[in-house]
Amino acid sequence: MKAFRWGFVTLVFLYLYLPIALLVINSFNVSKYGHEWRGFSLKWYEKLAGNEALMQAFANSLVIATLAATAATVIGTLMALAIYRYRFPLRKTASGLLFVVMLSPDIVLAITFLVIFIALGIQLGFWSLLIAHITFCLPFVVVTVYAQLNGFDRNLLEAAQDLGASESRIFLLIILPLIMPAVIASWLLSFTLSLDDVIISSFVTGPGFEILPIRVFSMVKVGVSPEVNVLATLLLVISLTLVTLSILLLKRKKPQ
Amino acid sequence: MQFRRFSIVLTLFWLGLFVLVPHLLVVLTSIMTPDSEHLAVWPVSGESWYRLREHLYLQVFWQSLWLSGITTLICLLVGYPFAYIIAKLPRFWRGVLLFLMIVPFWTNSLIRTYAIKLILGNKGLVNSLLVGLGIVDEPVQLLYTEFAVIFGLVYVLLPFMVLPLVSGFDKLDETLLEAARDLGAGFWQRFRLVILPLTMPGVIAGSLIVFLPAMGMFYVADLLGGAKNLLLGNIIKNQFLVVRNWPFGAAFSVALILIMALLMWLYFIANRRINRQGGLQDESL
Amino acid sequence: MKRTLLAALVLMALAGAVKAEERIVVYNWSEYIPEGVLEEFTQETGIKVEYSTYENNEVMYSKLKLQKGKGYDIVVPSTYLVSLMREEGLLHEIDHSKLSNIGNLAPDLMDKPYDPGNRYSIPYLWGSTGIGVNASEIDPATITKWADLWDPKWEGKLLLTDDVREVFHMALKKNGFSTNTTDPDEIRIAYEELRKLMPNVLVFNADAPREPFLAGDVNLGMIWSGEVIMAQEENPDIRYIYPAEGAGFWVDSFAIPAGATNVDNAHRFIDYMLRPDIAARAVEELGYSTPNAPAKELLSDEIRNNPVIFPSTESIQAGEFQQDLGDAMEIYNGYWERLKTGS
Repeated sequence: MKAFRWGFVTLVFLYLYLPIALLVINSFNVSKYGHEWRGFSLKWYEKLAGNEALMQAFANSLVIATLAATAATVIGTLMALAIYRYRFPLRKTASGLLFVVMLSPDIVLAITFLVIFIALGIQLGFWSLLIAHITFCLPFVVVTVYAQLNGFDRNLLEAAQDLGASESRIFLLIILPLIMPAVIASWLLSFTLSLDDVIISSFVTGPGFEILPIRVFSMVKVGVSPEVNVLATLLLVISLTLVTLSILLLKRKKPQ
Repeated sequence: MQFRRFSIVLTLFWLGLFVLVPHLLVVLTSIMTPDSEHLAVWPVSGESWYRLREHLYLQVFWQSLWLSGITTLICLLVGYPFAYIIAKLPRFWRGVLLFLMIVPFWTNSLIRTYAIKLILGNKGLVNSLLVGLGIVDEPVQLLYTEFAVIFGLVYVLLPFMVLPLVSGFDKLDETLLEAARDLGAGFWQRFRLVILPLTMPGVIAGSLIVFLPAMGMFYVADLLGGAKNLLLGNIIKNQFLVVRNWPFGAAFSVALILIMALLMWLYFIANRRINRQGGLQDESL
Repeated sequence: MKRTLLAALVLMALAGAVKAEERIVVYNWSEYIPEGVLEEFTQETGIKVEYSTYENNEVMYSKLKLQKGKGYDIVVPSTYLVSLMREEGLLHEIDHSKLSNIGNLAPDLMDKPYDPGNRYSIPYLWGSTGIGVNASEIDPATITKWADLWDPKWEGKLLLTDDVREVFHMALKKNGFSTNTTDPDEIRIAYEELRKLMPNVLVFNADAPREPFLAGDVNLGMIWSGEVIMAQEENPDIRYIYPAEGAGFWVDSFAIPAGATNVDNAHRFIDYMLRPDIAARAVEELGYSTPNAPAKELLSDEIRNNPVIFPSTESIQAGEFQQDLGDAMEIYNGYWERLKTGS
């Protein structure tokens, strides 16, 4: 029985990792088309470094992802707080709207963004992209932070209020430190979502500001660029590092 | 007071301007008249909504539903035992395996989909193995088939099924199982009467988190399925960018959201019925 | 968290300030500029190139329309889009006096009905859509016309380009109609023909039709002439066939959108691309044909005599150039959706 279990788990992991393994291996493959192994080489890594357009797109993506993740985390945390803590009109509507964003398929969201940007006269480009990314990350931030807020000891907050602390002090000194793991997790999640997004970005980005997923989409459809393999390997290494770091960070925050 | 007002205003402002108003605009567009020059003009017209009834579009809808459904089912069949095994492991290993499961998720889904081509192609890994081992004479057509699309969708969405399930198994009270065993219940009885009902919230949540995105992932179908079949996402994209019939595209989008909302509502009802002890308590979810 | 946000904003502002250099925003088909040309252009002129790509005329047109012609300095539309965009005022007039190399262009592709006097477009590359075949699997001599693709023995084996005009071109030519017909009956007949073809189709591909050939997933189908040339580098068995009923011909031209901000730079870019050596490299690398006469001289005999790159007069006669169809596109698009859904 045990062997069966481990066999099954191994099989699933094989399924998950085989394509990625192939990508990594092929990034060192001399052959351009990746259908046969023709020798070890680092030339595609060099080519990637030299591909200015791709590097630019990569840099743009990182900038957007960082800014969007940060903004979404800040705004989302405040939103989660507001919904959790305060009674205000349209509170349920706000939850509902976040919900709508979460369940809408990317393409529908893309259309809504396109429509509002045209209506507001916002030129498609950096800002439209940023706003769109922040918006679609928000529900995930709110859900994550809210879940952690839910397990809160209300007495703490009441005690602080009784002692006369202002809302902002309560937030900064009591709530924020205790929800920090959720905040960090939200940031990481938003960062990933932003980096991965293709459909929404392709609709709302403008000329001259190419981001990575769109570039990758063109390259992937062409199907033959080994630079994609290199990129995949690099992204994998980056994300592995980020996730490991975050776990270590969270582990250290645990003892309260 | 300042802080409180600020967070409330921020919430309402952002959601209002970038979510509520855009969606209302889309609904508005759906009742306008298409125009090749200005994309959508007055007068009000119900023609776009009327067109939704065409057999063609119902077929597209059905096709998307079918694909998403099969994907969800397979994710469930694979993910359920997988989550069970992982949940029963000691804490450290559980963390490691979950971590390993999430890592692929951090690689761009497009790139991963493209990698599947390397596996399923005629000169790809699977076929090379099959032909090399002499199991078949000619390569089997795996790529550009419905099989490839489902393979790809499951590939991208499996982690989304496993995570809620693991959380569900985690909350499973071992003592209940032990009690059942003591009372003489066999494996299948224990499964049917104890495990399944208590993990049902996780099953439903996981299914939803897989099904909904699957409905929208048309690029996986395009890349792996040979772009032969139009799915809901293709139609919308087509109408907005190629045909430029914005009212119709808008009507389609709104219809899609409504259907998703319907499914979510069904989820709520199901969840409420099951919400005895092991239900998901998050009230905003 | 506030501090990092502030720092990011400051960084962004700085980055923005540095960018006040000469630039040009180019929007082109994917894989449609020879390698290194953009970098060399920047080195020589100091103009930084921001480059994005599209795989489909329609997407480019839609994006441009949405932004009212602003944002891009160079686009590369095909013939029928040039006439459409010209009429809608989406294009900026091109000042020929700024193009020192304009004399290089052979007259037979200039001054065509879609753009009289070439006031709005300068031809870049032209090519054809025909039949591609993997000679190591299928004998090229057995495939001579579009009609051959309809043979039931190719069930589930064909590749078609993901373009409504090109796919319909096959069926229209097969029935002796014009590829630019607006007659609903003719279009309907073509649609019926295509429905019969659908079971034979394995994959639609508009980004790089050569890729499935090279991957061994497909051995027969529609393909662009240049794709075959590029494929032959990796696998010389991939061949191109001009179908007897007529291949589809098209011309892609440089155009400047009406709202372009760097009009002078755009002219310099076009002028640069009109240089014989640059045009020759485009032919060598991308496999399409050039209207640039001195460039042709620079090419090797092998390339000049390659009928795939430079088709014979007979092939051109038999074939047909695409033109704008106006409102009739609605009919085509409706059928296209039905074909793709299998109803």
